[in-house]
Amino acid sequence: MTAITVTQHVRYQTKVAHRRATSEPAWIRWTLIASALAFLTLFLFVPLAAVFTEALRKGWDTYLSALIDPDALSAIWLTLIAAAIALPLNLVFGVAAAWAIAKFEFRGKSVLITLIDLPFAVSPVVAGLIYVLIFGLQGWFGEWLIDNDMKVIFAIPGIVLATVFVTFPFVARELIPLMQAQGKDEEEAALVLGASGWQILWRVTLPNIKWGLLYGMILTNARAMGEFGAVSVVSGHIRGMTNTMPLHVEILYNEYQYAAAFAVASLLALLALVTLALKTFVEWQSAKNAAEFEKEANG
Amino acid sequence: MSIEINNISKQFGKFHALQNINFNVPSGELVALLGPSGCGKTTLLRIIAGLESADDGRIAFHGDDTTDKNVRERQVGFVFQHYALFRHMTVFENVAFGLRVRPKATRPSEAEIRRRVRELLGLVQLDWLADRYPPQLSGGQRQRIALARALAVEPKVLLLDEPFGALDAKVRKDLRRWLRRLHDELHITSVFVTHDQEEALEVADRIVVMNHGKVEQIGSPQQVYDQPASPFVYQFLGNVNEFESRVNKGRASINEVTVDSVEHQSVDDAAALAYIRPHDIEVLKEPNGAPSFSATVNYIHSLGPLVRLELQRQDDERIIEAELTRERFLQLQLIEGSQVYLQPKQVRVFLKH
Repeated sequence: MTAITVTQHVRYQTKVAHRRATSEPAWIRWTLIASALAFLTLFLFVPLAAVFTEALRKGWDTYLSALIDPDALSAIWLTLIAAAIALPLNLVFGVAAAWAIAKFEFRGKSVLITLIDLPFAVSPVVAGLIYVLIFGLQGWFGEWLIDNDMKVIFAIPGIVLATVFVTFPFVARELIPLMQAQGKDEEEAALVLGASGWQILWRVTLPNIKWGLLYGMILTNARAMGEFGAVSVVSGHIRGMTNTMPLHVEILYNEYQYAAAFAVASLLALLALVTLALKTFVEWQSAKNAAEFEKEANG
Repeated sequence: MSIEINNISKQFGKFHALQNINFNVPSGELVALLGPSGCGKTTLLRIIAGLESADDGRIAFHGDDTTDKNVRERQVGFVFQHYALFRHMTVFENVAFGLRVRPKATRPSEAEIRRRVRELLGLVQLDWLADRYPPQLSGGQRQRIALARALAVEPKVLLLDEPFGALDAKVRKDLRRWLRRLHDELHITSVFVTHDQEEALEVADRIVVMNHGKVEQIGSPQQVYDQPASPFVYQFLGNVNEFESRVNKGRASINEVTVDSVEHQSVDDAAALAYIRPHDIEVLKEPNGAPSFSATVNYIHSLGPLVRLELQRQDDERIIEAELTRERFLQLQLIEGSQVYLQPKQVRVFLKH
């Protein structure tokens, strides 16, 4: 190697050292960042701001009166009930399914995983229609339900069913990869130490998945309160009876009560913001836990 | 408490993980299950523990059939390769776990639990770590805590799955000597799984050598090393040189070199494989009259107190490994390319089937 090529080589190496290997020139970076920001502003921040501006356009009094309107209160109440029933059901189901899938080998495991994902794949409207076809007046169990004086479609049970269906995968999907990564060593250790199934679940499994579980529940709750399509099909839109918050917003909007519609919508938007904050906190916590787990696995 | 293993077989799909395994572990012994990965040793250990069930055969502890007993009732201590400490509990709570989950009737009082855990942490010399969490410990510390946790329930037998597999060489050595001393103190019947022959030879009272789901040989470390029952055992326990050979009436010949092979007295001219360990080869600079292989030195590897030579035979150009002490090596004044004469000091001959 001649002296000149050596100097060139050294210069090249210094240049490389100054610039990280993967970074692009400044103008590309700024263009990409600007377009991402513009996109976010247009599709996220502006609509969010619009919800609150529109809701408060006619002042606090209108805003509050829209929220304490009996129909609005009943919609909020129904939404809370649906979420309050769907959440624990999905909690139990999600933990049970994830436990079975992650810690045991059995026939039909892949079928079970596919079934859990089904609500993600099926359109919510179709999901709602399925329940109408099964429990509706002309449905399979329609006559039997009428004879026994029970109502599922156009009533609260239908709404709960539809909500449970669309929120089905969240907890399980969150827990399966986590539990698979943790393996079953700790459970086996507990078992040879003489712990019973319940003791293992409460003392070993649940403490290890608590952050993932919480994260799944937050997502489930957000989806349960915000679900529109499936609930819309089975609800029947009876004011003060079978309207949830998203449905109530639609009705108000269709009746040109914009301020009231946006007022109720702002509650949902607030819920989204709280969910986001909680989610960030939980993600931060579980990342901290995962880092510790990593350290343990490598150390 | 002895362990009797009778006719254990296990299949995963079409794969025979274990085939008719039979042996006993006498009370108070430390036995190593030794074999290459995939030979079924861990599966066998898990079957003894009850974490896995055998397709066929029975396991008994001191004559007591435990085959159909639940893991919880078998009272075994199990130490996992990756420790499996409860990562959200302190070291103290980890060790106390087995006592705390007992039904109320047999659970010791809180004071008694504290006393027992302190005692065990003292035994593994880690009482100062009681309030730490597992991620804050080193690998060796975690393994000792895992051992203390397993001992807390006063198990009848102790089972260890590659207990030092995840540790670095220095810690490994310290820890296995420590385990040996601990075993001499406690005298609890123990079985440990390893793929490391050095570990098995150093620590165990007896070694069960396994391959392809079968037991190849059972014996003391001395026996399996000096009198291997099969070519596999011979090759697995240390380095060997393999030679094509013929056996005739108690004499085995490798080309023009002929050695005694007393165990094959009655064999008439049969093909065989002869094995010579690198340290059983005498290296000479000049022929001394006795038959020998002439060879050239290809490479010289210095391994601390030992020197390993890679030699090439002149007759068929095969590679032979020989090990010398540093002293002998200096005496011979060898360099790469030197011409040498090799005489086997000890040969094991196995007939070809």
